[in-house]
Amino acid sequence: MSAPRFRLNGRDGVLPGDPARSLLDILREDHGLTAAKPGCRIGRCGACTVLMDGRPVNACLVMAYRLEGTEILTADHPEAGPAAAIVRAALIDENAFQCGYCAPGFVLALAALLNRAPEAGEAEIRAALTGNLCRCTGYASILRGALTARDRLRAARGATGAEPGGPDPSGSQLPR
Amino acid sequence: MGTGRKGSGMSGRALRVLRPREAGEALAALSRHGGEARLAAGATALQLDWAAGAERPDLLVDLSGLPELRGVEAVGGNLRIGAATPLAEIEADATVARLAPLLGRAVRTVAAPAVRSLASLGGNVAGRTGCCLPALLALDAALEILTAAGRERVALADWLGRAADPASLLLAVTLPPQPEGAPTTLRKVGLRAAFSPSVIGVAGLLSLDHGVIGAARLAAGGGPVRPQRLPRSEALLAGRPPGAVDWAGLHAALLAEIDAPDDSLRSARYRRLAAANALVAGLGGAGMLPGGRPGALPRYRPVGTGAPAGERVVSRAADPAGWHRRPDIADKVHGRLAYLTDARAPGMLVGRILRAGRPHARILSIDTAEAEALPGVAAVVTHRDVPGLNAYGIMVQDQPALCGERVRYVGDAVAAVAAVDEATAEAALALIRVAYAPLPVLDSPEAALAPGAPPLHPEGNLRREVRVARGDTESAFAACAHVVEDTYVTPRQMHGFLETEGGWAMMEADGSLTIRVGGQHGARDRLQIARILGWPEARVRVVTSPTGGAFGGKDELTVQPALALLAVKTGRAVRLHLGRAESVAAGIKRNPMRIRMRTGCDADGRLLAVSVELTADGGAYASLSPAVIETALEHCCGPYIVPNVAGVARLVATNNGTCGAFRGFGANEMTYAIECQMGRLAQAVGCDPVTLRRRNLRAPGSPGFFGQTVGPSERLAEMLDAAAASPLWSAGQGQGQEPAAVGVGLALNYQGNGLGSLPEDRAAVELRLAADGAIEALYGLDEIGQGLQAAIRSAVAARLGVDRAEIRPVIGDTGRTPDSGSTTASRGTFVVWEGARRAAPAFARALLDAAAQRLGRRPQGEAPDGSGSADLALGPGGIREARSNSGRPLLGFAELAAGLPPEALPRSRAAFDFPKADYVAGNARYLFAFGATLARVAVDRVTGEIRVLDLHQHTAAGPVLDAAAYLGQIEGGGVQGLGFTLTEDARMEAGRYAASNLDGYLMPTIADAPERSRVLALEDLDLGDPYGPRGIGELGIGAVTPAIAAAVADAVGHWPGAAPFSPETLLRALCDGAAA
Repeated sequence: MSAPRFRLNGRDGVLPGDPARSLLDILREDHGLTAAKPGCRIGRCGACTVLMDGRPVNACLVMAYRLEGTEILTADHPEAGPAAAIVRAALIDENAFQCGYCAPGFVLALAALLNRAPEAGEAEIRAALTGNLCRCTGYASILRGALTARDRLRAARGATGAEPGGPDPSGSQLPR
Repeated sequence: MGTGRKGSGMSGRALRVLRPREAGEALAALSRHGGEARLAAGATALQLDWAAGAERPDLLVDLSGLPELRGVEAVGGNLRIGAATPLAEIEADATVARLAPLLGRAVRTVAAPAVRSLASLGGNVAGRTGCCLPALLALDAALEILTAAGRERVALADWLGRAADPASLLLAVTLPPQPEGAPTTLRKVGLRAAFSPSVIGVAGLLSLDHGVIGAARLAAGGGPVRPQRLPRSEALLAGRPPGAVDWAGLHAALLAEIDAPDDSLRSARYRRLAAANALVAGLGGAGMLPGGRPGALPRYRPVGTGAPAGERVVSRAADPAGWHRRPDIADKVHGRLAYLTDARAPGMLVGRILRAGRPHARILSIDTAEAEALPGVAAVVTHRDVPGLNAYGIMVQDQPALCGERVRYVGDAVAAVAAVDEATAEAALALIRVAYAPLPVLDSPEAALAPGAPPLHPEGNLRREVRVARGDTESAFAACAHVVEDTYVTPRQMHGFLETEGGWAMMEADGSLTIRVGGQHGARDRLQIARILGWPEARVRVVTSPTGGAFGGKDELTVQPALALLAVKTGRAVRLHLGRAESVAAGIKRNPMRIRMRTGCDADGRLLAVSVELTADGGAYASLSPAVIETALEHCCGPYIVPNVAGVARLVATNNGTCGAFRGFGANEMTYAIECQMGRLAQAVGCDPVTLRRRNLRAPGSPGFFGQTVGPSERLAEMLDAAAASPLWSAGQGQGQEPAAVGVGLALNYQGNGLGSLPEDRAAVELRLAADGAIEALYGLDEIGQGLQAAIRSAVAARLGVDRAEIRPVIGDTGRTPDSGSTTASRGTFVVWEGARRAAPAFARALLDAAAQRLGRRPQGEAPDGSGSADLALGPGGIREARSNSGRPLLGFAELAAGLPPEALPRSRAAFDFPKADYVAGNARYLFAFGATLARVAVDRVTGEIRVLDLHQHTAAGPVLDAAAYLGQIEGGGVQGLGFTLTEDARMEAGRYAASNLDGYLMPTIADAPERSRVLALEDLDLGDPYGPRGIGELGIGAVTPAIAAAVADAVGHWPGAAPFSPETLLRALCDGAAA
């Protein structure tokens, strides 16, 4: 049987021997990718959020055996779907974070939302971010950054008549 | 597919995974392995279960790849959802939205989006505790099950009535379509607004037949509540038109029928009441819910005469030019900022600490032989390895670095291990044999003060008693027209920094130790570590930045003692990072307080007397708790004139964890008490809350609480003006979707800056030209998220007249930065500003002199700001002609630096005392910041839950040094205060934490944050005020709790006296109010 594989930030990832090893450890310890942070290791803080086939997941909850055949994107990776660049720029402009430990998780959770629903309203944005805890900001700055990102995405779409970041007019859908 | 591979998990226990190709194979494996196998689809509950101590199975049967268990399809008009279908797919599915929208709503109440990407519907059902069960029952769902006997279809309600069959496999959930136009309702009651464990959930569906209710299906369940249909209540609905339902009768029937348990968080009665309310309100009977505050209770509203001149909203939009990017924001957003816990290097050892795991015991013996013999273990350290003082503590050195004789709380460190990897270190911990003899557990201040309680420290369990007395309170109370007395209880709040305690340490070639651990005062950490090692301080270098949040919780030493001992013993680099559960057990918390307060005034509302008795649970060790209770007592009269005061504050040692500094530092707890008292007195007097406060406000320039001289620029009256003018008072009773009682509340606060008059409170800073031409600003303060670097850039650039980008902050490293004091007590902002003010003139002169020499000009003289007689001046980019308007520098900073030998690079150092009060009989503050917080809240008439609609924080803290940092501190403090008020409490039972991780300790999510928030600043200073910007790190948390309490009282007529505020109490108040 050939070695099981998964894609990590566009390259082949290395699966460990232990099928129960968490993706969080695989990222941080095996691949040296430290953007995903250990905040609770039980899926209750969102600091280790990564995209698995385009959907946000808690890396601490994904065991190695589930990775086979999947595509993982981490916040270390410059591309995380068409909305990621705009999301990052907006969060930077709004000084959305303080200590920043939660930031990579928020970036990916928000990018996943806006890739899927570029017109998301405030209620949808809050709903999409409920799994990501921030202890510094009180969330107001993150919400401002998210709304700025949404507005810029809208403006970009208006300007080009298509989704930003890709020629495919259905590019708002996640790669599945 | 279908491969099972052996491996060892963190526990060292092998786990095999079977990935079957079809359902029969999964079932066969299940029957073959019996109880040693576990089914998993999303597998999201496993880490939770394992963290909670569940046995790991030998075999995991992964159902996620079974095609027949995946997907949503409409089959013969019914909906079939594969059991392994992730909830996120169900929630996004158009067929579900069309045929069973109620299920779509239910799915969204489960956990959070990232969890739902994996978690399956089958997992939610099979555990019988899932939040989708009430909706599925209301939708009359059935299950497709595979057993050895074959496939079976069984109604969900029937299946729930059977015992669980471990040899069966749930294949799918099937649903008849939700009848079109049928009234439905769904409600999950949790412990916070979202991503919460379930308190109880309900769902209801009424199918209408020609305007009459045909079948009614009502259900409850979720979390600890058994999933159940409610047939007796349903029977009351059938056959009636929706408009003719006896809602009160239904409510009574539901209360009688719903079966729900008690637990330590919510009573059975509450669960039943909230569930009955939700079903009745949701199906059309909201009118029968109690309406809110008694109508007889008048609402007193202040009359505004306008906001104070100069007050402005702090936002990017309000002042785009004053909005600067934090120097570290891009790295943080891109996930490339290296935190001290992210460091990895070849050969680096992994450290772990052995915790006591019991609240109180004598250590009989510690045997490390087996652990040391384990291959891969580099060192084990115990108290025998501590060469210096085996004790630390900022105020009193009473906490052992590693316990040798006795453990006093669950998190006490007993030993530490360094090994080649995490698994080996963990295995080694299990091999350390410690024999304990249990000692009585002092699990409350009362128990600790009871006669015969064993003393936890030589001076006894009453660790500190502070008193304040003036006048004659007894006679004064006798003369009062109104007296209010109550007890205010505050929670053991956890700091909840996202980055738990950790970092790494290494021995340097010269025999010194470098230790990099997030902290709040590197120089003091160095003193404490050196004392433990018995080394001169110069042999230890401490790096404390960047830190992933602190809030006071990293002010005391955390992992440094163990880490230092391991690095010294192994001579190698060692990293150590606490898991959350260990952080919860070991870390400092906010002191829980019980504040008995009596406050009296005359008929006009003038305060005559305050008496207060505060008891604080100190936990096992002192840390900064003695100073916390002192600060609390200092705030017992708020900023008001009170002629007669009698106060006592007691700090009691217990076996309940350990406590110490937390943002607010006792002031916010006491402000909760006194501000609620003021609000209640206003009601008693019959005036609005602003008027009563104004009548008692201290006059600017008058002596402080201790009689000390107080610094200039008091802005209390202005804060009251701002509060009175707030638009929130007239925002109306507008309600959200849920039936709610809405109220508005106000609280006033002031927060001292700096450590106070007693402790040493000095700061040194340095400016220097680096070899690459950057202007380095060296501050021994820490970037803990607050925006220190942006503040340094603002202050130094403004003083020198150069670009912000030319300033390079160098911070948090005793090897490079001078001791600027602690990054606590709202002192950093002033230290940054004052340091720049003091160091900049000499630095500017040195730069100009160096430039003059290079350019062949005359020396630039002694003009203090580098101008005057000088013909050169500093400007963006470098040195320019003083009297030229040309933008071009004559000499760039890089150019200047390049031509100078390292020892000739200009530098200037300044040292100063933080401004202090002239009072030394107690610890008094001199500089203060001021605030008024207004909260508008909705109290849910269904559940008693509080939702903060608006939070307006008016502040006066001098000039805003950096708008983003200012805004962030006030907003962040506001929501941390909201957590303190509504959801957070690290409860202890018999000296052990009831919740060990963030699934049980509930900090606010973005759904709990205020719907709208606003931060306003009044920046002006008195003429001649030399002190510049005040600190705002603690101001934002200071008045949130009493403002919300006042708003709740405005809404329902009840002042909550215990934080976090209990929805149960408020629901009872709503009912009582309705009855009144």
